[in-house]
Amino acid sequence: MSDVAHDTPVSHHDEHESTGIDNRKLGMWVFLSSEFMFFGALIATYLLYSNRGGFEGTYPSEIYDIPFTSVSSFVLLMSSLTRVLAHNALSKGDQNGTRTWLFATAALGAVFLGGQVFEFTEFVTKYDMTLSSNPAASAFYLLTGFHGTHVAIGVIMLLSLWGISRRRGGLSEKQGMSLELVGLYWHFVDIIWIVIFTVVYLLSVPPA
Amino acid sequence: MTTEHDTHPSPAQYWKIAALLAVLTVFEVAMFYIDRELGLGGLNALILISLALLKFVIVVGWYMHLRFENAIPSRFFTAGAILAVGLYLVVLSAMGVVVIRG
Amino acid sequence: MTATAERPRTTIFKRPSSTTGWWSWLTTVDHKKIGIMYGYAAFFFFIIGGLEALMLRIQLASANAEFLTAGAYNAMFTMHATTMVFLFIMPASAAFMNYLIPLMIGARDVAFPRLNALSWWIFFFGGIFLYSTFIFGTSVPPIGPDGIAGNLAAGGGPGSFNWLADSPDGGWFGYQPNAGPFYSPGTAMDYWALGLQLIGLASLVSAVNFIVTVFNMRAKGMRLLRMPVFVWMGTVVAFLLLFSIPIIAVALFMVTFDRQFGTLFFAPVGGGDPILWQHLFWLFGHPEVYILILPAMGIVSEVLPVFSKKPLFGYSAVVFAGAAIAFLGFGVWAHHMFSSGITPVAQAAFGLATMTIAIPTGIKIFNWLGTMWGGRIRMTTPMLFAVGFIAMFTIGGLSGVTHAVVPSDWQQTDTYYIVAHLHYVLFGGSVFGLFAGLYYWYPKLTGKIMNERLGKINFWLMFIGFNTTFAPMHWLGLQGMVRRTWKYAPETGLEPWNVVVTIGAFIIATGVAVFMYNWYHSRRHGEDSGLDPWDARTIEWTIPNPTPEYNFAVSPVVSKLDHFWHLKYDQDDEGRAVRKEDADQIIAELQHVGLNPPEPIHLPTPSYFPLIMAAGLLLMFYGIIYHTTAWGKALIAIGAVVSLAAVIGWAIEPVEEPHDKPGEERSEKVQAGV
Ligand SMILES: [Cu+2]
Repeated sequence: MSDVAHDTPVSHHDEHESTGIDNRKLGMWVFLSSEFMFFGALIATYLLYSNRGGFEGTYPSEIYDIPFTSVSSFVLLMSSLTRVLAHNALSKGDQNGTRTWLFATAALGAVFLGGQVFEFTEFVTKYDMTLSSNPAASAFYLLTGFHGTHVAIGVIMLLSLWGISRRRGGLSEKQGMSLELVGLYWHFVDIIWIVIFTVVYLLSVPPA
Repeated sequence: MTTEHDTHPSPAQYWKIAALLAVLTVFEVAMFYIDRELGLGGLNALILISLALLKFVIVVGWYMHLRFENAIPSRFFTAGAILAVGLYLVVLSAMGVVVIRG
Repeated sequence: MTATAERPRTTIFKRPSSTTGWWSWLTTVDHKKIGIMYGYAAFFFFIIGGLEALMLRIQLASANAEFLTAGAYNAMFTMHATTMVFLFIMPASAAFMNYLIPLMIGARDVAFPRLNALSWWIFFFGGIFLYSTFIFGTSVPPIGPDGIAGNLAAGGGPGSFNWLADSPDGGWFGYQPNAGPFYSPGTAMDYWALGLQLIGLASLVSAVNFIVTVFNMRAKGMRLLRMPVFVWMGTVVAFLLLFSIPIIAVALFMVTFDRQFGTLFFAPVGGGDPILWQHLFWLFGHPEVYILILPAMGIVSEVLPVFSKKPLFGYSAVVFAGAAIAFLGFGVWAHHMFSSGITPVAQAAFGLATMTIAIPTGIKIFNWLGTMWGGRIRMTTPMLFAVGFIAMFTIGGLSGVTHAVVPSDWQQTDTYYIVAHLHYVLFGGSVFGLFAGLYYWYPKLTGKIMNERLGKINFWLMFIGFNTTFAPMHWLGLQGMVRRTWKYAPETGLEPWNVVVTIGAFIIATGVAVFMYNWYHSRRHGEDSGLDPWDARTIEWTIPNPTPEYNFAVSPVVSKLDHFWHLKYDQDDEGRAVRKEDADQIIAELQHVGLNPPEPIHLPTPSYFPLIMAAGLLLMFYGIIYHTTAWGKALIAIGAVVSLAAVIGWAIEPVEEPHDKPGEERSEKVQAGV
């Protein structure tokens, strides 16, 4: 008991029954599985209220700017491409390429966010649709707001990795795993937007 | 990360997938305007939801590499997605009928 | 991989290294210490929730009593239920899961030790936040549209303790619009909604942690179907949390936005639909009842085989029944809404679905009975609680089926019959199960056995008190006594049974006091447990008591279900278990090896950041309540900065410090996990 120093790592793969997937990666998958329930509740709430008529105020589906949102959706979609290219560059040891694609991904995410800020501003100032206009407006802002928050967190994580890579001249193996985790998260945010774009923007009609 | 690249798509494939996603998105937006002119109703919804589902599956399968992943995460992930869709559909259908309108 | 594989740098701060004293608890990432903190916090809230229940019972002991004001009564039943569900049973289950799951699967810690500490601190601060409503919260009487100001519910009226009324009073289910900004102005319900948000976040984080732990950290040979049933039930609970917490999170966000930022989700005046709240709440709320009961079922499934000297009857049936209960549990939520105007089709469907849950539940009960059948039963205190669990839970389960029948449910809704039912499953079930676990695993914490005589007194007081309290509630409810109402008229004839119920509540309290004394007393004066006090079956008993800091001196290799049992026992020709001749020698050897690790053991290093991050969140949540004021905004900003700093520090520091650094004496002072 006197000489318990530190040599054997806590989790050594050959000592354990395991899925063979890195703990952090499995954890991310598990967490993302639960996020479906989170966004599902928000989307369901929007669907419940989006065409329930008889109340005051502007409904979001009356004022959607479909061309604008199509472009920003496309921007977010393409950020998934740049993210996998970053991953691919790192797996080939191309640290410069990784950095470039990382930055591109964060930049596309930021463009998407900028679009959302612009959209919200337009809705509030031009069409006077606020959180309190009607339940449909409340649901729209809460849903897209929470999605935007997710994107913002993703952008911050991507920029952190980019910064680390710039300062240290590359990403270590452990940071490579971080890149994978951020990637999973990023793609998940993207697929949620794929659903939102269709269900909330393209298919939603104002109450008759 | 050592054994992975053999199974993962190549950059060329990534670009092709992106092109496919772009085309699908163009289709979606086109459907929106076509429906405006023709009033397809339910058919439009069916097509748009199918397109979204397709994009969803492509991103999850290829970009998130779920297709190449061990079965465990894909089971959890699918379970979450199906549970969410199923439960909230039941809620919506229950509420759609009960709701006292206007 | 050509990237630079550099060693993680040491952080800006020196890492905490103490193993004893306050700092060791504040910075620990040890699953055992975290489990113990969960346990003590849960028990503390159990006492508080119990005192709240006694207040309610004193008020109801006589007709037209004026012990509490109406407002204080509302606050007491709201806080009693909220406390018992979220601040007692859930963290008590988390305590067992934290302490035991790594030990039972043969691991040295959970998959993410620092996240585990984060869960604990968020939970603990969530509890403090919720309870600080008694200091900071306000509950202003609403002014109704008809001009009737200040109804009784918000204070006033005869009775005392009205100061208690300045706390959440919308029920643990927080039905809308009653708990919304219009009918519950003041900040008390904000404390409730945001407090539950924090507690839910803690549960979600630990759910992810436990799922990864169970899937990735099992000892060699510990296949999924060799895991103890408690681990299985913990895993099922983790999945229930994983998929149900996000629902309540969204619902609570909507409440907070309605109350703080003027959204209209649940306000009928603005077009909101209160039924949406009911759906979302019960979508979470029904899985929640299995979150409360399954850990206790797991505990009982560990205790019964040991004290029957038989393997669990139908191990895989018990495991699959647990999973089936969880799965079905997601599809029955609307049985809480039979009187909310859902359609006949929905009523029939949800009624039938609810009844099907009786099938896996029945399977479990028969398996437990089958385990005892023909066994050599030792009626120790843990066994008494486990058997009490089966009997009481069965009664509660049966009364539950009666309100799956829709017309019957209409009769019972909001009466004391429901109160009786839920206490039979949650007290007679969960709490008895947890007490069985406390007595059974006490030696793992302390190396002592709890006093048996006090234990039996404890059990019988609680058992008799429990039935005196809750059995009469069945008839009170069927006679029409309604829940959540602070007074009844003498003419109703409800008083005699209410007197009995209140007496029962005080008997339970006496039983709990005996337990506390026993817990404290046995620490010093209890009999030494040795390694294997109960002739146990599972591998958490193959290591010394109290558990060494490193858990397993040598990572175990598991070859069978009930691995430890098979180390000690052989089968004779008729299939009976025969203790091996060298069993005692094997145990002595385990004790020796367990205290003398042959190789150096590397453990995760303690960290300040989980605590700091949770503290930042706490500040932000206070800020949200007062966000209209300047200092509220300041609190949000400070909290955000603190949390962000913690995230950065967390990301920079490695899970384990490299070995050649100073300050590494930590594990040399190997010490017990208490
Ligand atoms: Cu239920």
